[in-house]
Amino acid sequence: MRSSTLRLVVALVLFTCVFLFMRYYEFDLPVWSYLTGNNAVDPALLHLQGEFVESHLGTTRELDGSLTLRLIAEQYLFVPHCVLVPAETPIRVRITSADAVHLLFFAGTTYKLRAVRGTVNEGRFEFPHPGVYSMPCHEFCGAGHYAMRSRLVAVARDQFPSLKPGEIASCGPR
Amino acid sequence: MLVWLGLSVPLLVYAFMGAQSERPVPTPSNVAWTDETIELASGGDPVRGLLLARRCERCHGTEGFSSKPEIPNLAGMDKLAFWKQLQDFQAEKRESATMQMIMQPFTPRDDADLAAYYSMLPTMPDPQDPRAFPGDTPPAAHGTMAARLISLGDGRRGVPPCQACHGPVAYVRGAPPLLTQNSAYILKQLTTFATGIRTNDINMPMRSIAADLTEEERKALAEYYGAGLASLPTGATAPRR
Repeated sequence: MRSSTLRLVVALVLFTCVFLFMRYYEFDLPVWSYLTGNNAVDPALLHLQGEFVESHLGTTRELDGSLTLRLIAEQYLFVPHCVLVPAETPIRVRITSADAVHLLFFAGTTYKLRAVRGTVNEGRFEFPHPGVYSMPCHEFCGAGHYAMRSRLVAVARDQFPSLKPGEIASCGPR
Repeated sequence: MLVWLGLSVPLLVYAFMGAQSERPVPTPSNVAWTDETIELASGGDPVRGLLLARRCERCHGTEGFSSKPEIPNLAGMDKLAFWKQLQDFQAEKRESATMQMIMQPFTPRDDADLAAYYSMLPTMPDPQDPRAFPGDTPPAAHGTMAARLISLGDGRRGVPPCQACHGPVAYVRGAPPLLTQNSAYILKQLTTFATGIRTNDINMPMRSIAADLTEEERKALAEYYGAGLASLPTGATAPRR
């Protein structure tokens, strides 16, 4: 193979690898995880099956001891409306949208996650101080967008309830 | 004997674990807004619905307006919202001893026909029809409070404006229009959502919003809608509390 052709092939392979492994704009997972369809969900069936049924929304402890916060973005609130997390602890946040595109923003931080219908987006955050963090929507999603706001309550680690795997901590209505 | 025990115990354990993992997940409603469901719910025959609605008139009125404020008006109801509530009564996802019993013989097709019929009924006033709507005008303070919540919501608490989902500004699938609804019925539904008695709202929007409202705000909203004021242009001119 000529050297110029070889260089071109190598460049294409490198570019493909970079593209697949980069984290796309405001999505916190590599592009390839979306191409494999692992993060696809049916927005019409969120309440019937899968990880976003009502009993799974909120903060839960996984089998490996880590904490996962699951949220649904819908017109015009993030549910659960009030979530409880421990401060100074890594939290995996997974969100999807039931309808339009929403952008979850944690006021007082630089954290944001885009919620897209049909896809689960994920981010790993750590809230530095105990307190109430407002969660407004930063992507226009309809007539009620400007009032779309939920809240995250971060408590000291020793005040966070000790959860068994699968148990949920939330400060909103269930 | 020992061989039998050795084989059966692991099988029993495996079966038990399987049963545990297959425990049914509680769901708010069996209705899922897929394309097929939307086509079924919105494709009813209003003439057939007219015939089926004869058994609804006793409580819900001949023109879709009830004479009792605690019984909802059905005239002009959105087809999808109407169909979903009937489905939820049949699946016992929404509590009502009366409606669950009445709706048992109906099929999804019947529900769609009823939805098509009631969606076509006019909501204009009729002095000759004995109807509870519109109710009394609310006190000024309640009127101002309700106007603000309906037109602006409350961004501090994350309460969206009612009119963004229930009209007239915008409508969300499954959210019924409230412009010509009875006050006592609205108040009861807001209260049951807030207390968690009613749980058939998909993805919990109404439970979350109603729980954030105070009892006075729920009453004010019910009175405002029940007086027929929500169809007027609303504006929040009063200072925020």
